[in-house]
Amino acid sequence: MHIPDGFLSARVAAGSGVTAGLGVAFACARVRATGLGARRALLGVSAAFVFAAQLVNFPVAAGTSGHLIGAALVAALLGLPAAIVVMTAVLVVQCLVFGDGGVLALGANVLNMALVSCVVGYSVDRLACGKNPSPTRRVAAVAFAGWCATVAAAVSCAEELALSGVARFGVVLPAMVGVHALIGIGEAMISGLLVASVLRLRPELLARASANHSRNALGSGLGLALVAALLLAPFSSAAPDGLLRVAAGLGAQAHASSPSSAPLPDYTLPGLGTGALATVLVGACGALLIFGLCWLFARLVVPRRRGSATAESTPSPIAAE
Amino acid sequence: MGGSRLAVPRARWSAARKLGLTLVSILAVSALPARHAPWGLLLLAVLIGAARVAGLTLRSWLKRWLVALPFLLSVSLLGLFQPHGGALFLAVLVKSTVSLLAVQLLLHTTPASDLLRTLRRAHVPEILCSTILLLQRYWVLLADEAARMRRARAGRTLRSGRLELWRAQGNALGLLFVRTVARAERVQAAMRARGAP
Repeated sequence: MHIPDGFLSARVAAGSGVTAGLGVAFACARVRATGLGARRALLGVSAAFVFAAQLVNFPVAAGTSGHLIGAALVAALLGLPAAIVVMTAVLVVQCLVFGDGGVLALGANVLNMALVSCVVGYSVDRLACGKNPSPTRRVAAVAFAGWCATVAAAVSCAEELALSGVARFGVVLPAMVGVHALIGIGEAMISGLLVASVLRLRPELLARASANHSRNALGSGLGLALVAALLLAPFSSAAPDGLLRVAAGLGAQAHASSPSSAPLPDYTLPGLGTGALATVLVGACGALLIFGLCWLFARLVVPRRRGSATAESTPSPIAAE
Repeated sequence: MGGSRLAVPRARWSAARKLGLTLVSILAVSALPARHAPWGLLLLAVLIGAARVAGLTLRSWLKRWLVALPFLLSVSLLGLFQPHGGALFLAVLVKSTVSLLAVQLLLHTTPASDLLRTLRRAHVPEILCSTILLLQRYWVLLADEAARMRRARAGRTLRSGRLELWRAQGNALGLLFVRTVARAERVQAAMRARGAP
């Protein structure tokens, strides 16, 4: 998802650069304010961990492989401000040392993969996890957060590309979100497996993380709502958005056609019409389905311990398998 | 500011100047309207000349270009679904190719440490700079550790299915994170011992 140079218009590159700069500056100030600055080695070595973990390949199918992205995972393990700093550092090194992603597009890449994905990942994780979660819930929450963060970053990337005029929003959004909804499944599984393994090896690391940021759940919920509103703004308006208007003015069709035999044609539910409510409901159904899958996955990977303090409240461990 | 080891005039410029020049050329080529994008090829010719002087091989540049190609092609092909899509497709290809060569030239002639020093001078927050510095120092170590764990697992397991492989890789990454935290505590202690806050 690293955008190379040449794709973004100067205006979009500048706008996303300024937004990313402000976001990262705020995160750095929060890190200092929360005293994490005194543990700067943890941030640096965690960034090195994300970098090294991204090199570990997981076989997918037909010779292809995927790797961890890590924004939601780091946000769950280290908290939001630290995660933003860590992911920004990873992106800067990928850009300035390895030439991965453009220099002018660095702001947009930081906005997508460090800010949007960390904020969404962290908020979803906090909301899905709650206080004193069972191990299954902990793993399911981080897996679901990983999927949401990947898709959110793809949405933000599609918006930037569409605003730059390299592709129509109605084409680039479904393409980016479709591909990243699949990539997100891999991200969810790797994040879940990793947290399950940390829970087994050093559960106190996760307990410490939970104790650190449980107070911010309300704030993160608000942050999530804000990001979701920003990302979904072009959908929620019944009138065509600026880009679609421009496209219509140029004689283009306002929407890509979709096969009428699809289960949810044009992202609508039969009988609910095509309003913003229907779009939101379809999105919510999809997200619930993914959360259900994450929960089943967590039941599979978390070993069961009968009679322990962290025992599950849900019945029969074998049922889900 | 230290220049590069290369004895060519461009390589002796400061990292800040080279970074600025790269940004300006990418900005200039990005700002070209789609129908004037072929003018970007002029800049490409200049950059190819500079790359020859700086000793950047065509092979390394092509390798980088091939890595970026999937994103480049998939997004530019999506651009074909709109009016004047063909011109736009070519424009994006020219712009991204020129930008990629500009960045490759910058990275080839400037040591990473100089670029990071430039960031620090540009008032990038201290905590981000130190994170970047530590990342650069430790990622090789952690990648080695991950490779060692992979070798050890392969030595213990004769044959495994895809699901078991995922589980094993996930466990290895979890273990790597636990070791990362332990290493961070040691690094922090060492930094304190040398007078860091």
